[in-house]
Amino acid sequence: MFEVPSLSDLNVGATLPVTLLALGACVLLVVDLFIPRERKSITAWLTAIGIGVSLVFSLLSLSGAVEFGSGELAFSDMYRADRLTDTINVAALITALLGVMVAYDYLERTRLQRGEYYILLMFSAAGAMLMGAANDLVIVFIALELLSIPLYILSGFRRPQEASEESAMKYFLLGAFASGFLIYGIALIYGATGTTNLPEVWDAVAGVVAEDSAAKFLVMIGAGLVLAGLGFKVAAVPFHMWTPDVYQGAPTPVVAYMSVAAKIGGFAALVRVFGMGLSTFVLESGAPAAWQDTIWLVAVLTMLLGNVVAIVQSDLKRLLAYSTIAHAGYILIAVAAAGTAGLEDTAAQAVVIYLIAYAFTNAGAFAVITAMEKDDASNTSLDALRGLASRCPWLAAAMAVFMLSLTGIPLTAGFVGKWFVFKVALQADLVAAAVVGVLTSAVSAYYYLRVVWMMYFEEGEGDAATPPALAWAIGVAAVGTLVLGALPYLLSDMAREITLAFGG
Amino acid sequence: MTDSLIDIGLSRGLAVLIAKTLGVFALATVGLLWTFFCIWAERKVAARFQDRLGPNRAGPFGLAQTVADAIKIILKEDIMHQGVDRWVFNLAPILSVMSVLLIWVVIPFTPTLIGVDLSIGVLYLFAVGSLGSIAILMAGWSSNNKFALLGAFRAVAQLISYEVPMALAMLVPVVLAGSMSTQDIVRSQHVMYLIAAPLTVLIFIIASMAELGRAPFDILEAESELVAGYQTEYSGFKFGLFYVGEFLHAFTVGLLIAVLFLGGWRGPFAEDVPALGFVYLLLKSFVGYFAVMWIRMTLPRVRVDQILDLGWKFLVPLSLVNLIVVAFLWKILPGTDSINSAGDALVPSLVLLAANILMIAGVGMLLREEGRRERARIAARRAAQPVSEPGSVADAAPAGASD
Amino acid sequence: MLSEYAPIAALLVISVGMGILILFISRIFGPFRPTARKLAPYESGMEPFGPAIRRIPVKFYRVAVLFILFDIEVIFFLPWAVVFRDLGSYGLVTMGVFFFVLTVGFIYEWKVGGLEWE
Repeated sequence: MFEVPSLSDLNVGATLPVTLLALGACVLLVVDLFIPRERKSITAWLTAIGIGVSLVFSLLSLSGAVEFGSGELAFSDMYRADRLTDTINVAALITALLGVMVAYDYLERTRLQRGEYYILLMFSAAGAMLMGAANDLVIVFIALELLSIPLYILSGFRRPQEASEESAMKYFLLGAFASGFLIYGIALIYGATGTTNLPEVWDAVAGVVAEDSAAKFLVMIGAGLVLAGLGFKVAAVPFHMWTPDVYQGAPTPVVAYMSVAAKIGGFAALVRVFGMGLSTFVLESGAPAAWQDTIWLVAVLTMLLGNVVAIVQSDLKRLLAYSTIAHAGYILIAVAAAGTAGLEDTAAQAVVIYLIAYAFTNAGAFAVITAMEKDDASNTSLDALRGLASRCPWLAAAMAVFMLSLTGIPLTAGFVGKWFVFKVALQADLVAAAVVGVLTSAVSAYYYLRVVWMMYFEEGEGDAATPPALAWAIGVAAVGTLVLGALPYLLSDMAREITLAFGG
Repeated sequence: MTDSLIDIGLSRGLAVLIAKTLGVFALATVGLLWTFFCIWAERKVAARFQDRLGPNRAGPFGLAQTVADAIKIILKEDIMHQGVDRWVFNLAPILSVMSVLLIWVVIPFTPTLIGVDLSIGVLYLFAVGSLGSIAILMAGWSSNNKFALLGAFRAVAQLISYEVPMALAMLVPVVLAGSMSTQDIVRSQHVMYLIAAPLTVLIFIIASMAELGRAPFDILEAESELVAGYQTEYSGFKFGLFYVGEFLHAFTVGLLIAVLFLGGWRGPFAEDVPALGFVYLLLKSFVGYFAVMWIRMTLPRVRVDQILDLGWKFLVPLSLVNLIVVAFLWKILPGTDSINSAGDALVPSLVLLAANILMIAGVGMLLREEGRRERARIAARRAAQPVSEPGSVADAAPAGASD
Repeated sequence: MLSEYAPIAALLVISVGMGILILFISRIFGPFRPTARKLAPYESGMEPFGPAIRRIPVKFYRVAVLFILFDIEVIFFLPWAVVFRDLGSYGLVTMGVFFFVLTVGFIYEWKVGGLEWE
């Protein structure tokens, strides 16, 4: 009749980090119901422990000290537990941990303290991790939903507040639209190649293109639609419109988390789909993959728009929103470089390095805004920064570090990320993209350094409150940014063994 | 018949198609005519329950009463008032009858006579069963009437709430028989599933009562609140079609109980004399049908929030647990792999029966505790408000009074 | 394969045809004398006011969403129920996980008050 799989075929061991996290979230969802409202700190602690356990497993798996499961593939070839999965897991989990720490006091003082916040955060972290582990287009889609749907809810978490509700609604409607693009693209790729399994797509695409049949156009349109769907998640340019509004309206700790987690998930999936599944999609032999031009054009547009529009922003949250768009552009250069045969691995390593550096920096920057923000969601304008250095020297110092790192000044993590990205771009002959990247980085220095200038050299009423958990989060992020910047080999060693090659 | 069609020179496929179509045509006609009898039977039984005589003028025992009613209702004016959505308004009553008739296609009447022995019979039952809710929604929406729309929404909320436990209850025979085909389910009932899964039968009957929208679950036409619910604006034979659909559905529930839990056409010598199987099936259906009527005549109407509470907070968890327990036991019990006779099935059935009795006892204890708490709550409320309203059970209307 | 369903299609056509026929007959034999009053929507004898279709309380929507969740879950149970005997422990465990996730959601829904009608 049919072959009955056995339990050991599932290879659950290989998926332990994400399975544990999802399972923990499910259990916590029930446990939280029995925790009284005024003691939600218990939920926060339990969430942190859950994420921590998962992080320990990921790190163990990353270090290679312990071999979980047998082989890379799990769940009927749906899940791939390789080096990329491990690094993405670590990045997503660190972001989630920072997200919990940033949120705790904010939720307390704005009377939003509900256990659902932490649980949704856990679910969405599981989604981001799954995107990095996807070995099948179907998993890409499911993981995208698992990542996004909690984020839609989290954006509207400050419920009676209109800005928050509006941002949730916008995010949800546009996000649902983007998911539609993605699933449609997946359907077309399936139609052309007859499979959704990424290695099998890799096998089939070359044949489809060689036959020069109509299927080639299906793959082309399908890849375009997938790029649109994932591009929405990472806020690449034609699909970036939601970003400033959503980031401005959503509660700041949520933004701290989602601006990074959505990017981690989105780029991990882009690397998987384009670098792994569609890397053989070349129109003539020897040429780079057919999608390379599109992606680097998108990257150039994204960098230009993000950086130029950010200059005129007067609200700090909006400014950082445009800055996240700009950074999506930088990472996209690396994704584009994956289209050159032989560079897939290097490009994937650059993406991961940039993502980890970016995770610390951006989450930290939004954490500082959380500290500044008043209970009524005001005080996030650029003017509110004036004189911050004199009142909160440590906070201002941390913010300065984040700004420098976002600019890409040497000795910060941001520089390491940019270095690897531009390097792989040059290797792939994407000179134009690299040049635009460097130039826009110079432009971005204007508005990032203006933030530093205002904090240190202008008089004003700038003030902030840093309760312990938040202070720790900012501290960890700042130290992380500095350490990764000062000791770049930490990142490059971690990423060195990332490879997209697969047996067979 | 297929053979004679082939004889006159038709291709085999066409002949089968024609034969099947004619059979289905006969099925639909018989089904609709059968309703006449059902309506008579139900009115007669209702009358006895309420110490009346019931229809007794037209024909022997009043048997022709329904025919007279049908003729009368055809002669009534068919009003289509302003603002209705014509197509939807006209289609709704037809769909309501159709959704029930479609169920009859997969009912195995005898070992050989069945409309279509679909391999996914039970799934098909789910699918066409929910067409009824769409018919109601269409009727309410197209009527351009506030009562109709609100009635339709309430009705559909109720129907879909009970669809879940009903579907879960229908899964139990599927688990026990290892097949979704209704004919296979009947064949494998060497010992009636009533014995193996009495709790499932209870759940199925309760959920079916709610699906029927009859007392005690007849809020969809709660006269005191909603005039006549979604039927408010219907007149003439369109109203009659809803009526036909309802009574036919009531009997169909009896049929389903017979097929899924009482062994369908099975009985002494049924394999050899198929006609006998048909008689057995009818008898068994009437057992189920009578149970449905009995409940309708006895119990008062419950409030809308009570209905949904009962569905979601009681029946859904109960039927889930029931399904898991039955499936798990059926899996681990030895000798359930190959059941070919009543002897093979007896021991596992009895074990399941014991498990069911345990479950029923547990549920009974839970319910008693809940009842005690509810009574305490009511007493506390009474004590807080000494001026008592004319009874906190004011929502309970006498059942079946309208017939 | 698909021809199995031909009788069902036939029944669909037949029952719709019968319904139309019956309605047609009643149109022929019944009277047809519309008046303005008769054609007004019924509102317990009052003058009808406002549109009949207006906003519906959100609780109906909630029931509908709950129904979709559970109905889909039942549909997933169905094929499993047919073959779970052949699936062995694999079937039991995977369905157990599915059931666990479902139960967690259900308990949550219940405790937060999603099942309350008022």
